[in-house]
Amino acid sequence: MKLGPWIGVAVAVFGLAAQAQDNLKRGADIAANGVGDSVPACSGCHAQNGIADGSGAFPRLAGQSAWYMARQFADYASGARNSALMGPIAKALSAADGAAVAAYYASANGPFVFNKRADATLVERGRQLARTGDQAKQLAACNNCHGPGGIGGFPAIPFLAGQYANYIALQLQMWKSGSRKDGADSMADIAKRLSDQDMAAVAAYYQQLREAPTQAAK
Amino acid sequence: MAERLKAVDVVTVGVGLTGAILGKELAATGLKVIGLERGPMRDTVPDFQSPAIHDELRYAVRKALTQDNVKEAMTFRNSTGQTALPMRRWQGFMPGNGLGGAAVHWNGLTWRFQPADFVYRTHLEGRYGKGFVDPDLTIQDWGVTYAELEPHYDRFEYLCGTSGKAGNIKGVVQAGGNPFEGPRSREYPTRPMKEPYYGALFRKGAESLGYHPFPSPASTLSEPYTNPEGLSLHQCVFCGFCERFACEHFAKASPQTVILPVALKNPDYELRTGCQVLRVNLDSTGKKATGVTYVDAAGREYEQPAELVLITAYSLNNVRMLLNSRIGRPYDPATGEGVVGRNYAFQTMSYASVFYDQDVVINPFMASGASGTVIDDLAGDNFDHKGLGFIGGAYISATMTGGRPIEFHPTPPGTPNWGLGWKQAVARHYNHTVVLTCHGSSHPMRGNCLDLDPTYKDAWGQPLLRMTFDFPQNDVRMSRYVTDKAVGVGRAMGGKIVAGAPRERPYDSTIYQTTHNTGGAIMGNDPTTSAVNRYLQSWDVPNVFVVGASAYPHNASYNPTGTVGALTYWALDAIKNRYLKAPGALVPR
Repeated sequence: MKLGPWIGVAVAVFGLAAQAQDNLKRGADIAANGVGDSVPACSGCHAQNGIADGSGAFPRLAGQSAWYMARQFADYASGARNSALMGPIAKALSAADGAAVAAYYASANGPFVFNKRADATLVERGRQLARTGDQAKQLAACNNCHGPGGIGGFPAIPFLAGQYANYIALQLQMWKSGSRKDGADSMADIAKRLSDQDMAAVAAYYQQLREAPTQAAK
Repeated sequence: MAERLKAVDVVTVGVGLTGAILGKELAATGLKVIGLERGPMRDTVPDFQSPAIHDELRYAVRKALTQDNVKEAMTFRNSTGQTALPMRRWQGFMPGNGLGGAAVHWNGLTWRFQPADFVYRTHLEGRYGKGFVDPDLTIQDWGVTYAELEPHYDRFEYLCGTSGKAGNIKGVVQAGGNPFEGPRSREYPTRPMKEPYYGALFRKGAESLGYHPFPSPASTLSEPYTNPEGLSLHQCVFCGFCERFACEHFAKASPQTVILPVALKNPDYELRTGCQVLRVNLDSTGKKATGVTYVDAAGREYEQPAELVLITAYSLNNVRMLLNSRIGRPYDPATGEGVVGRNYAFQTMSYASVFYDQDVVINPFMASGASGTVIDDLAGDNFDHKGLGFIGGAYISATMTGGRPIEFHPTPPGTPNWGLGWKQAVARHYNHTVVLTCHGSSHPMRGNCLDLDPTYKDAWGQPLLRMTFDFPQNDVRMSRYVTDKAVGVGRAMGGKIVAGAPRERPYDSTIYQTTHNTGGAIMGNDPTTSAVNRYLQSWDVPNVFVVGASAYPHNASYNPTGTVGALTYWALDAIKNRYLKAPGALVPR
């Protein structure tokens, strides 16, 4: 057996793995410290483990699709996704640093924050919209695109399971009002068919889908 | 003994595309309409939602959305000298079943036929002379013109929200569209779908050979759209599950998404599902229908009297309904006389597979049933047929319909049919192959026909429909010619191996080709060669209209649904504006 070519392949794979490790380290560094004066530390809002502060003012990033997050940086930078907070940060972030920080948070593994106070009736309505849709409103199930159980249709479509209810509801409101315009054209159309109650319901449903392992063990 | 129900104005036999449109429109005029559907009630929510609807084994292989052939099969033979046998599984084609019919599991390809198709014999004799057409081909004019149908094509496309690029608006050729198409009154309702990579490769290859590529006309929508009925469709997400499946996204036009919700809100419209119509009843003169007899899901038999009976089932079942109801003289292939069952035609499909190296990544799963790029240069009579030895043609397209894992296994010639070699070839080629479709015309010939089987019966004791069909030599020659051109396009696309597979005789009903069965209750101006007049009204029983692809005297190079929609609105116009004002024959015999 000739080992020559296999050694070449092994070296190449090892090289790629090492490169990916460096990239993650760079991402972790940006998350913790920012870049110079222009990019503040991501962890200030999103936490180093990617679960943010739990209020839902900032989204959970841990485990999100790296491709999707890099796309958001591009959209924030171009203004396609409008945010007074994230716009200047994304503009200051180089493409390589954006990719690094996206890769870092994609690999982050912070615990899920379970919402114990979610209203059961609301969650049930959310479950119906998420899994089955609503014929009267001509709404397909959210899971058709966001994956079974809302785990995401990676790389392009973000997960919703375990995302903060306040964050999901706010994004839906923004699509409905037209202040968020990026992403698939279909989201605005879908959001316009949702009442405030529907938005709260689907948001509450998705947040309570995943919980921290310690809570699950109880 | 059948229970006799309260009389109504209109009954539709079947609630698919044609039944839903006619039912909705006639109920809107204040008539009491009943839609009888043999299959189940079903709707986008909850019946079509994923992940269940993406079950390829259930829907694509076991064909859960099609006619139940345990209860109601069809027999088949290649020629009149053979004994036909029942098709116990649908393989060659897939008649729809259930609310919405086959327009639930269609791909969404929404074409118009060529102006020449409607005056086919006149056109061909005018261009090539009287002796040009093979005398065995029973082609004839349709009795309606493209210009008459244009507003109805337009209405149907705006109902569906069809995505595309016009190639000819009021006689002015439009850049980027199909320069060969008949003039449209306006642009498509929605912009073309995004071009997939396989479409882009095809476009470049076709352009380099001087052809005229354009985006495939698709009722799987490129953008959100609200139709004139006030119903909204969403944007297609290219999930790859159109053909053989129902759309979970409200993105594919189907009766459920574009018209039925409006009908169902009207108290004058009543839908009854699970109702198998056995026959149209006639009075003692045999010249007037009195209603229909049907059996409900519990096996109870009913007589539903109606002033007007619209036969709006799948094309083949329209023909069977006429035969089982003894409406119109059955066609006899021995003498060429009779009309019901005459001019059955199919579609002459062939393919060219373009195999690339590993560096060309096709991602065939990112598709709708209708997304892709097409050339119309070799369809119908768009090219000079002098010296070619055939009439008709095919459009050539790169419209891959989803690359689903059970069905899509492209392998180059010489690959073993099973075992390790086959598996390795599938793994090697799955993501690096573009399959080109040649979607060819199908011509009727004297021996190809539909009649009642003398032996086999359905679960209700009625004779099955018997199909006698083989490809005419004309169509085999056409297929070889066009497939060869498709191979040329494949080479121009940079394929490392290009394998053409033209259609050959005999027709094999165990290999899927299309569900485009046409004819058998054809329209025309002569009652000795057509079952229905130019308004799709029975020549023999004027209060019966037979609506669908059963009316086509031949099948053109295109997917038939667009023309089904146009003819439905054309017939509706005649019923509403002429028949209802003075019931009776709209064309004297």
